[in-house]
Amino acid sequence: MRLTVNNQPIEIDADPDMPLLWALRDLAGIKGPKFGCGIAACGACTVLVDGAPVRSCSLPVGAVDGDVTTIEGLPEGNTLHVVQQAWLEMQVPQCGYCQAGQIMSAVALLEEVDEPSDADIDDAMSGNLCRCGTYPKIRAAIKQAAELKTKLGA
Amino acid sequence: MSRLAMIVVLAAISAPALVSIGAARADGLSEWATIHKVFSHPRCANCHVEDERPRWSGDHYGGAGMHGFNIKRGTDGSGFGNPGQRCAVCHFEANSGKPHGPPGAENWHLAPAEMAWFGQSSALICAQIKDPERNGDRTLEEVADHVRSDPLVAWGWNPGPGRQPAPGSAEETYRALLRWISFGAPCPGT
Repeated sequence: MRLTVNNQPIEIDADPDMPLLWALRDLAGIKGPKFGCGIAACGACTVLVDGAPVRSCSLPVGAVDGDVTTIEGLPEGNTLHVVQQAWLEMQVPQCGYCQAGQIMSAVALLEEVDEPSDADIDDAMSGNLCRCGTYPKIRAAIKQAAELKTKLGA
Repeated sequence: MSRLAMIVVLAAISAPALVSIGAARADGLSEWATIHKVFSHPRCANCHVEDERPRWSGDHYGGAGMHGFNIKRGTDGSGFGNPGQRCAVCHFEANSGKPHGPPGAENWHLAPAEMAWFGQSSALICAQIKDPERNGDRTLEEVADHVRSDPLVAWGWNPGPGRQPAPGSAEETYRALLRWISFGAPCPGT
């Protein structure tokens, strides 16, 4: 089976019913997306398929129809994505386990909404749970990333 | 119509014809009852809501509640969710095989708000189904075809593990709709 992950073609020998998350982590060695709940209820496994967020723990790899982007694929060369930069500037993570998923959802939100309000952020991010409760910092970082994105014309 | 005029009109209709009209209405209402059991079933009604929030329900929920994760119809009114959290983030083209995993079907989304069934009476749902402005501009025959052939509607009878399917089948509901139409498509209380 052939996938394109982070602009790289990869060949994997996977049952089509295998969750994409398993294929990424166990077969392709891409460990950014995390296993949290296994039933699309926490968001830790979020990746993008053709730019749209999906919970990779529940999407069968055989049903993937598009290019996959994980958090490893966000930077361009040595330059972090604006959302990653904002995350660092705002020092969002505590334990960090959910943060890759949080960032992928935030990236998807900013692709559609240039200046998200608190309500936009709540509507977009409520499926990404954080047991450390970093939600206020996540909200601040998304607004910071939106400003940065506008400034850079990204 | 005056009482006298009504008596004249009724007198002009033969007694067998009145019996026949009454029997057709009773048969039609019987068919509607079958259809209503499907439309009001949680597998159908939970996503035919008047407000912004799809519902979850089932034996393990203790009654219908709001869908988790702050899921909403979408600020664009599309029924496909909000930016960053569209329905398709979790709902793919097939059911998750895991208990409590996300159910899936092609084109997963909320029905338009004007097609609200959740919490509505049988009479109101019936009136809505017959109103082209609230049924997607469909004839009743097209409503029946939609029930028989739409993949997302079909999910109601194949909802994945741990969820009670809608009663009967798509084909049985389609046939009940055709019979209801043939009996004049009567609605309760009208």
